[in-house]
Amino acid sequence: MLEPLLESEKKEKILLYLYTNGEAYPREIAKAFRFYINTVQNQMLNLEIGGVLYSRLKGKVRLFGINPRYPFKKELEALLEKTLKFIPDEEKEKFYTPRLRPRRTGKPL
Amino acid sequence: MKIKGISLKDLAILICDYLAKNDIETVLTGGACVSIYTSDKYVSYDLDFVLLSYISRKKIKSLLERLGFQEKGRHLKHEDTPFLVEFLAPPLSIGEEPINEINEIRKGNMVLRLLSPTDCVKDRLAAFYHWNDRQSLEQAIMVCGDNDIDLEEVKRWSIHEGMEIKYDGIKRKLQREK
Repeated sequence: MLEPLLESEKKEKILLYLYTNGEAYPREIAKAFRFYINTVQNQMLNLEIGGVLYSRLKGKVRLFGINPRYPFKKELEALLEKTLKFIPDEEKEKFYTPRLRPRRTGKPL
Repeated sequence: MKIKGISLKDLAILICDYLAKNDIETVLTGGACVSIYTSDKYVSYDLDFVLLSYISRKKIKSLLERLGFQEKGRHLKHEDTPFLVEFLAPPLSIGEEPINEINEIRKGNMVLRLLSPTDCVKDRLAAFYHWNDRQSLEQAIMVCGDNDIDLEEVKRWSIHEGMEIKYDGIKRKLQREK
């Protein structure tokens, strides 16, 4: 949907994943979409250089998210929200509808 | 100007002025502004310059190499100084808002362009608001103590960022330092 604008299907999927999942690490996204890890890493690093994403270390993992200080964050999120409406339900459920609320330890999923 | 033993402020002046003379406009932001506005009560080793237009990293790298800097990852480093220099993509903004008033510090015929003290406080508060970074809050309080800050403007901006409740929680700390 946003490929003409972003010039990359992968970039669109990365942004949608981060928008719907909050934070994520490159390997997680690469695994979800079966992308090469290096491609995902490069896209995310470029988005970070551009100020669109932030990253932080948690333990040994570098987590990325949409930068709350990015001046066009609201507009970007509105665009991503609209994009989600055009995504098939199956795809939406598989990649972009994570369970974000907590679940107590030991409780079956 | 020699790089060895140079202060953060003088290095910032040197780089900003050198790039401006090569048609690259930058503005110093982040912790380096806190260092400058608190006369080094807070010590930063990061010089974060925001570019005012898109310039290739290659061009900046090549210019700074003439001053003796080498690229280390995303930073530029000079062996005679502990400071790290980084260039951030435009636009110059604090949260959602563009910055229109830029402060200047002059040394001889050289000019450093940097955030105003009030924008420096907002910049630090943005990190506190969005990431709960209490070190940034402490830095904002320090800048308030040493400079004339427009707290009404800080309040207006905080509300615009949707952070009125957080601002209400810290405003006394900011005022107490004034």
